[in-house]
Amino acid sequence: MDEPMDSGMTSQVVRSQQEGVKLLNQLMEVAQPERVFAAPISEGGYTLINTSEVMTGMGFGFGMGQGETRPGEGQVTEAGETAEEEKGVGGGGGGGGYAMARPVAVISVGPAGVEVIPVADRTKLGIAMLTTLGTMLFMLGRMRRGA
Amino acid sequence: MAKGDFGIRVVNNRGEAVRVGDATLTPQSQAVVLRWPNGGLVWNRPVAVRVEQGEDVRQIPILDVTRLVQVGLWVFWIILVFRTAGRLRRQRRG
Repeated sequence: MDEPMDSGMTSQVVRSQQEGVKLLNQLMEVAQPERVFAAPISEGGYTLINTSEVMTGMGFGFGMGQGETRPGEGQVTEAGETAEEEKGVGGGGGGGGYAMARPVAVISVGPAGVEVIPVADRTKLGIAMLTTLGTMLFMLGRMRRGA
Repeated sequence: MAKGDFGIRVVNNRGEAVRVGDATLTPQSQAVVLRWPNGGLVWNRPVAVRVEQGEDVRQIPILDVTRLVQVGLWVFWIILVFRTAGRLRRQRRG
């Protein structure tokens, strides 16, 4: 009775693991250059190609275990008798992922020739600037107090 | 998972060439692939574009201005922290 339950759990974990590996292999396709360079767009004599930085990551894990009571270790019934030997299996899994894409530059092909126009991420730069400014003020305050 | 999948790899890729007018553009990218059992990370970024126009062949680098400024600020931040810490230590001693 217990054996099929155990093998069923094992096969389920193996199946989940295989699905995870399949998903991971799909994730590795992000390494292809097509994911970074968009298809060219032509408008008003100009052709533009957007280029982006792409980052993805994932991790997953599965586990299972089983246990059984030794003869005499089982729960004691109301009648004072030790219950029959008990067996059990349990398993679980979890995973997580991350994906990020940010435009880096635009390749422009026009009458003036081929140009690479950089794209600045103002939000990212603003956060970095605020962090630096905050640290500067904090350090300045500490130095004044220390003097 | 195969054992060979574990580790770090830097892959330089060339995309499919695009013909625009008389110019042929070949995008180039660099991917850093990190793999471990049951997980992985891919960081792919554009590096340059190769432009072929007649007999003229040029390679135009693609600079990530955001990253450059960000790293510059971080370096400035680290220098600032260390210099201030040094000054504070000297103030306390003398």
